[in-house]
Amino acid sequence: MSPPLAAFIQSFVLPLLGGGAVAVRGPIRPSDREDMAQDPGELGSPALRFLRLRRAQQLAPDPVLPDPDLTELTLWIGLHNTLVFDHPERDRVWARASTWRRLEGATRTFLTLPAAADEAEGLARHVSIGAFVQLLRRDTVVATSAGEVRFLGQPMPRRRLRLLAVPPTGHREELVHWLQAPHAPETERLIEDAMRTSPLTCLLHPHTAPPGWSPLQASDFLRSRGSARSIVYTWARAADWVAVGAAVMSALLPSVPLPQTAGDADPPRASVAPSDPWAGGERPELPPPSPPGEMLALPGVVVPTSPEALSAVVGALIHLHFLKVVELQARLGALATGRDPGTLAFLALPLVLPMIASVTGTPSPGLGGAGLGRASAGGAVLPTGGSANSRGGAASGTVARRWAEYLDHLGELVPRRTVDNLLAALVPRITQRQ
Amino acid sequence: MQGLSPDGRGIAVGRELLALFPTLDWLVSFLGAYSDEASLDELIPTMTLEHVRREGGGHAIVLRCAAADAYGVDRLRRVSSATRGQLYTGAGSVFVRWRERDAPFGYDLCAPLSAPAEEVLVVDVNVAASYRTVDRMDPVELIQRLQLRPVPLPLRGIAADPELCGLAELALVLVAPGLAARTLAYLWRLEVPMAGYYVELEDDPRPSLLLRLRNPTRRALDVLSGMPGVELLAPVSARAAVEVGYKHPIQLASASACFPGEEMFLFRGTVGRVERLDTAPRFIDGRHLVQNTGGSRLREIGQLREAELDPLRVDLKLRPSAHPREPRGTLIAWEQVDLLRHLVYLIPPSALAASRLVPLEEGVVVLTGSGVGARSASAAAGLGAGAIVPLGRRLGAVAPGVLVVDGFELWPRVRPALMRQLLGLGADDHALFLSASADPVRVRPEQLLPLDAALIGRMALGEAVVREPVDAPLVPGEVDNQKLGRFALWGFGGLSRTAGVPALTDGEDDSEGLGPGQ
Repeated sequence: MSPPLAAFIQSFVLPLLGGGAVAVRGPIRPSDREDMAQDPGELGSPALRFLRLRRAQQLAPDPVLPDPDLTELTLWIGLHNTLVFDHPERDRVWARASTWRRLEGATRTFLTLPAAADEAEGLARHVSIGAFVQLLRRDTVVATSAGEVRFLGQPMPRRRLRLLAVPPTGHREELVHWLQAPHAPETERLIEDAMRTSPLTCLLHPHTAPPGWSPLQASDFLRSRGSARSIVYTWARAADWVAVGAAVMSALLPSVPLPQTAGDADPPRASVAPSDPWAGGERPELPPPSPPGEMLALPGVVVPTSPEALSAVVGALIHLHFLKVVELQARLGALATGRDPGTLAFLALPLVLPMIASVTGTPSPGLGGAGLGRASAGGAVLPTGGSANSRGGAASGTVARRWAEYLDHLGELVPRRTVDNLLAALVPRITQRQ
Repeated sequence: MQGLSPDGRGIAVGRELLALFPTLDWLVSFLGAYSDEASLDELIPTMTLEHVRREGGGHAIVLRCAAADAYGVDRLRRVSSATRGQLYTGAGSVFVRWRERDAPFGYDLCAPLSAPAEEVLVVDVNVAASYRTVDRMDPVELIQRLQLRPVPLPLRGIAADPELCGLAELALVLVAPGLAARTLAYLWRLEVPMAGYYVELEDDPRPSLLLRLRNPTRRALDVLSGMPGVELLAPVSARAAVEVGYKHPIQLASASACFPGEEMFLFRGTVGRVERLDTAPRFIDGRHLVQNTGGSRLREIGQLREAELDPLRVDLKLRPSAHPREPRGTLIAWEQVDLLRHLVYLIPPSALAASRLVPLEEGVVVLTGSGVGARSASAAAGLGAGAIVPLGRRLGAVAPGVLVVDGFELWPRVRPALMRQLLGLGADDHALFLSASADPVRVRPEQLLPLDAALIGRMALGEAVVREPVDAPLVPGEVDNQKLGRFALWGFGGLSRTAGVPALTDGEDDSEGLGPGQ
């Protein structure tokens, strides 16, 4: 018997969005989903709409959300089935491995949704996926003479309590972050599928984004000032804000490859020259030469970029730097950085601001070259103080001094080659000047 | 050659150095010249001195020490060649010549050579000599026993140029036992700052006096330098001093390793002795060394004749004066209090906070901070409402806390602290002279009211009503894995029944007959 839609919403969807016990039962079949879709009236329940709205208000003060529809129901069913794979009593189900594979395929089908048509639909996806990412699990841990026994998201059965001879105070409860806990292999794969349905969630939690994700997929949210501000503030709240910015920048870098120069356009193919040091008889076997024009390696997926989308993402990342400068935490954060390309590119972004300020604008008046404080074409500028009163002017002077010191600090920290790469790959794509 | 290795520049440097000197005098010259340039403390720990006999005849003095880097060895070679010494490098018992112009990277043996037992083989370019040790000398003892060399003194005496003799800052004076008391008395009369103690010199049953004079005057030096039985010594290091007019062959300041322990060495040139004091000198201030022979004593005053001072006393009174004073307060008549109430709105906050108020019969006195009992630094600075309010009669301060109406002053003009004492004021009390005819008023600190608190009416605050938010905060959901029971998993084969439902990826049909057990 399929669970009625009302019961599913009451036991799974509403706790998922508003907090509480998110009930995970047996997997929901496609036929069950069709049965639910026969009577979708429960999707318009006021409680559900209210919780979606409150979830969305965490990101935007006055969000516009579409009404819950069958696509969203499909997403919730997919999330539920994803959680089923982690159920501790999964081995009690009578099923062959092939059936579990089919269940995974069906769940993947549930989670495979078309790209969001507009911002409202993308925000609605984030409402569900964002709550899914934040899920917790209360584990009961019992210390026995043979070691610790952990009950995942379940209370301890009384039968086990008697068998293990556990005293009343011999167990404890631990609240773990579900996403960061170990998962079944199927769950790991399905989480990536779930994340792909919501680029906005990937943008807010770039560490959990699936491989191949690009922040340009969510650039629409960064073009509007309000949502961009919320996203940047969410990044700034992270403890390791440099790592967050570096993750976004790492995902952006494949979309802005270095332009091929004349020398790089036709790289010389390796030829066996008489002076070849490998020609001494120990030369490894090379694959047979391929016919001309055949590709030996496929390039990575490059998301088509537009200057507006690029400037929106870059402007938001620079604004993250600016927020940390205002909070007096920029130098401390930038000190503990690694040397990976994403981190260095993220730290080098403020150094190229004078070159792109005419398009992106600047976080505050007086922090760039030409075009100070102007609204950008893509709307990526996030001005913090546009008034010219005296107090604002004094504050801007202090901030400008801190910003200049921070730029000097970054200039010593970031290799010159990284800045040159950004000037060659990123700046022309934003300013459209080759 | 074993023990010879190239350094960073490729120069062959051995583990040890060997320097041959024809006589002991040239060795002393070498030590003196080296101590002028560098510190002997680097050489002395590894230095050995031997009197050797050459195999074919002849004697020499051999100095052996550990080799430092090639730069240091080059310096040794330069100094030794200037004092007729030959420098060799090597290890153990075989040494080769140190590098020179013809061999800038040094020498090595063409064929292995070995020295006879208990002999040292010194190999030159085309000759090898073997030396056998006859006698060994302790370098520290040698340096301590060296005879001092006389040096000329300034023709006009030591006092003409104490800097030349090393006595400008500190001078040590060794006084023979019989002259100690007279010398002390003489220096005490000259008021020379001194310290000293009695030392027992070897072969002298009576202790001699060793004095330390800091920044000695020229006159004292002039007198002491020519006195028989008194020797002036100039300190050359922390534990060595040399008699003025003599010089040690070696720069003792760079040979602190020659003076082990805490002993103090006094090199006396006149008598040709080195005095070893067993401990570091412990000087006692000179005033404890001299003998007091004065007989006059101070007399205590018994009874003061206070009664005789009464004819001198005068009254403190108020008199007109044209001397302008900075206003420190104002006396506002009660009729003008309404105007003061209106003016309060114009007073700057700092001035309002610095002002205090005293309601009196004559009117309201508004005081600016006067430094007495001021509540803050700004109040003590003095800019208050009393200086700003254009009402009443101004009051000026003739002393801290003593205010007189404008146009008058207190006569006679005594010290401010004495004036407060004469008026009998406490630490935070104020005295107000409001008119020439009336008596002054004492204002205690508890009678001073803050102007802002006195004039501004009290405001009643209502209790804040906190409203609990209607909606509970959004919290993350908690996964609740409900009991599954035993059931067969089926229903995930086949295609969807209606369009719009997600199509399955796996088309394999399943045939398990049981449904989910939920």
